[in-house]
Amino acid sequence: MRSVIVGYLDTPAGRDALALGAALAATLGLRLDLVLVLHDEGRASLVPVGPSYERHLDDLAEGWLKEARAGLPESVASTAHVVRAETFAEGLVTAAGDLGADAIVIGAGKEGAFGRLHLGSVGGVLVHSAPVPVAIAPAGLAGRGVHRFGTITAAVGTRAGARAVVDSAIAVASAARLPLRLVSLVPLDVADGTGSVDTRDRADDRHAVAREHAEGLRDVALRTVPDRVDVTVEIAAGPRIGDAIRDLTWTDDELVFVGSSRLAQPHRLFLGSVAAKIVRGVPVPLVVVPRDHDPRSTRPDPGSDGVVHEGTTP
Amino acid sequence: MSILKKSGVTADGAISSKGLSAGSVGLIGAVVIGISCIAPAYTLTGALGPTIAQVGTHLPAIFLVGFIPMLLVAFGYRELNSAMPDSGTSFTWGVRAFGPWIGWMAGWGLVVATIVVLSNLAGIAVDFFYLLLGQLFGNPALADLAADPVVNVVTCLAFMAGATIISYRDMQTTQKVQYWLVGFQLIVLIGFAVVAFVRVGGGSAFDATGISLDWFNPFSVPTFSAFAAGLSLSIFIFWGWDVTLTMSEETSGSRTTPGRAATLTVVIIVLVYLLVSLASMSFAGLGADGVGLGNPDIQGNAFSALAGPVLGPLAILMSLAVLSSSAASLQSTFVSPARTLLAMGHYGALSPKFARVSPRFFTPGYATLASAVVASVFYAVMRFISEDVLWDTITTLGMMICFYYGLTAFACVWYFRRQWRTGARNLFFQIVAPGVGGIILAVLFVTTLIDSMDPEYGSGSQIGGVGLVFVLGVLILVAGVVVMLVNARLRPAFFRGEGLRAGVAGDEREGQAALPE
Repeated sequence: MRSVIVGYLDTPAGRDALALGAALAATLGLRLDLVLVLHDEGRASLVPVGPSYERHLDDLAEGWLKEARAGLPESVASTAHVVRAETFAEGLVTAAGDLGADAIVIGAGKEGAFGRLHLGSVGGVLVHSAPVPVAIAPAGLAGRGVHRFGTITAAVGTRAGARAVVDSAIAVASAARLPLRLVSLVPLDVADGTGSVDTRDRADDRHAVAREHAEGLRDVALRTVPDRVDVTVEIAAGPRIGDAIRDLTWTDDELVFVGSSRLAQPHRLFLGSVAAKIVRGVPVPLVVVPRDHDPRSTRPDPGSDGVVHEGTTP
Repeated sequence: MSILKKSGVTADGAISSKGLSAGSVGLIGAVVIGISCIAPAYTLTGALGPTIAQVGTHLPAIFLVGFIPMLLVAFGYRELNSAMPDSGTSFTWGVRAFGPWIGWMAGWGLVVATIVVLSNLAGIAVDFFYLLLGQLFGNPALADLAADPVVNVVTCLAFMAGATIISYRDMQTTQKVQYWLVGFQLIVLIGFAVVAFVRVGGGSAFDATGISLDWFNPFSVPTFSAFAAGLSLSIFIFWGWDVTLTMSEETSGSRTTPGRAATLTVVIIVLVYLLVSLASMSFAGLGADGVGLGNPDIQGNAFSALAGPVLGPLAILMSLAVLSSSAASLQSTFVSPARTLLAMGHYGALSPKFARVSPRFFTPGYATLASAVVASVFYAVMRFISEDVLWDTITTLGMMICFYYGLTAFACVWYFRRQWRTGARNLFFQIVAPGVGGIILAVLFVTTLIDSMDPEYGSGSQIGGVGLVFVLGVLILVAGVVVMLVNARLRPAFFRGEGLRAGVAGDEREGQAALPE
């Protein structure tokens, strides 16, 4: 049975992660591997290690995990693990490897300066180092009552990794028979880095490129998805990411796939500037897909079309 | 490295990593943590003056003798720790040996002693912080800011708040940084000693004083009172060393690592203490003027006065060494009352709030905050009622260490009382060594208590004609009894011996349910 790691803590962020994991499990029939990461004493440099205190922590952690599992719907299969690692992120990545999990789920938490939603130190490290997709639950998800997803969205530009994002979204939408929404971020990519005054010509130019990109996306999707899956295509308003996020409408039961950036090492996530802004601005759960991620590994029917273009634009 | 392989996957597929992972702390790591906990730069600057005030030139002798009761009690501590490993340490063992009432007071003694040392640590850090600012900007007026009680208390509270946040969030430096900090501390102390000796030889010392063999003779200390007072102070300078004996006990590394780490730590510490105290005394003498170590004005914080005359422009290094040493010690010291309070809350001896563990940082959050608040209030009050807050807190601290270490030693003897038949090893480590150590500490405690009634005792602070140290000591213990009685009313179950109860090693019922979870 395929599984995802839920990076659990007995905190609001941890319960958001659990809620996202449960919704993913209900949508895709996955098993949840709840992992609670305690500190590895190997890092102790100042404070003497107290073996009995560590045992006490083990017991507490097991209690927290037990409570968390008790709160899951009965239809969701789950396992619980207490692991020790130097950092939360490292513990989750290692556990994902050892348990053969397809993704890691974490809660964004609400610890940003001045109340701004951001990833938190854990999420920040994790999306920069995970070899598998990382699903991020926005703060407060646990209270929203989303038990199952209704729409899958992929938001991509022309950068490296876009294909992996689209393929992942297609795989999930196909498996769950959910409508797929493809959003072209090309207006942002074109504007990105020029910084020049936006002339009318450039705006037209941008729009043409974006339309071509969007049509390409749609063609890829239509070739792959089963007939019963609806595919819609949108073009983000540009050139500012803030406008784009504001203009798009989000439904409560939506799951959004975004890519990491070309700065990442192969098989490692690295959140690009656009993706980072999306993480902060989008109110629904996000899945950040590593550049070289092969979505076939998350696809339930591995027999289907396996042509993955080495390159960028789908 | 795979965490799962390290911890093993159990039959039902769950990963289990109960307890400690393999080889977590090696020999060097243990020595570094040990030295960092003892914090020699901080300890020396705080204890040098008060100890000299008691025993004069016999400081080296007292430093050497002071190690004996510490070693004897540490043997018992190690035996208790391997028989009943528990975060509550003195509290838990006290209860297991003597029942809830005495055990409660042992826990109180530990918590109070560490809270007093927290306030002293922060106080020393404040002095050196302003000294450092003065040195950095070449403006001695900045260093004098530390003498302003309001500035001093506010800065101290800020330091305490910083240390609390760091402890609450369990932020630790990497091992490499810690190695550098400890190495830096030792190099500065040794450099200080070498330069001081060079100046003595070159005739530029403040008050060159020849070293005599008599300094090493503990029997020539003039009175027993002075001897006892000096000894209880010198126990403070080794306090923290015992962690090296116990911290790597349960790691799967070499069985000899803990013993070797503890030995290596104490050899380094003793050598540094002797070198630096001899150098300070031969450089500055024991006169009552200027930087003479007999001058009461500098006795609460010796290096703050000596660093400049000895090291000249490099005195800033000493400020950095003491500051970093106090900061490291502040953090490692925070752990001890927090974990003991946690255990007390857990077993129902205190409000269950104390048993709370932060679900995010995995630290005893409530207990850490409570310790910080009490230590801050204690320092602020002391700053205004004491003439020399650092001196008086160190003396009080020596007394409180004698109290709870003594109780712990007796708990060891009493818990293992039937073990003397099981062999010479157990007889020595479980009964004779802690017994002798406990008696020495009890004598020191009582002597210090009686002597400190004299208003001239220590720094000379007094309340109503009675020495401040005595008032503090009695107040702390009476407050403990009062808080205990309040808790006995609120939480009678613990005091009736339900849950954690007294027992004795070798009893057939021991071993099961010795420490209920």
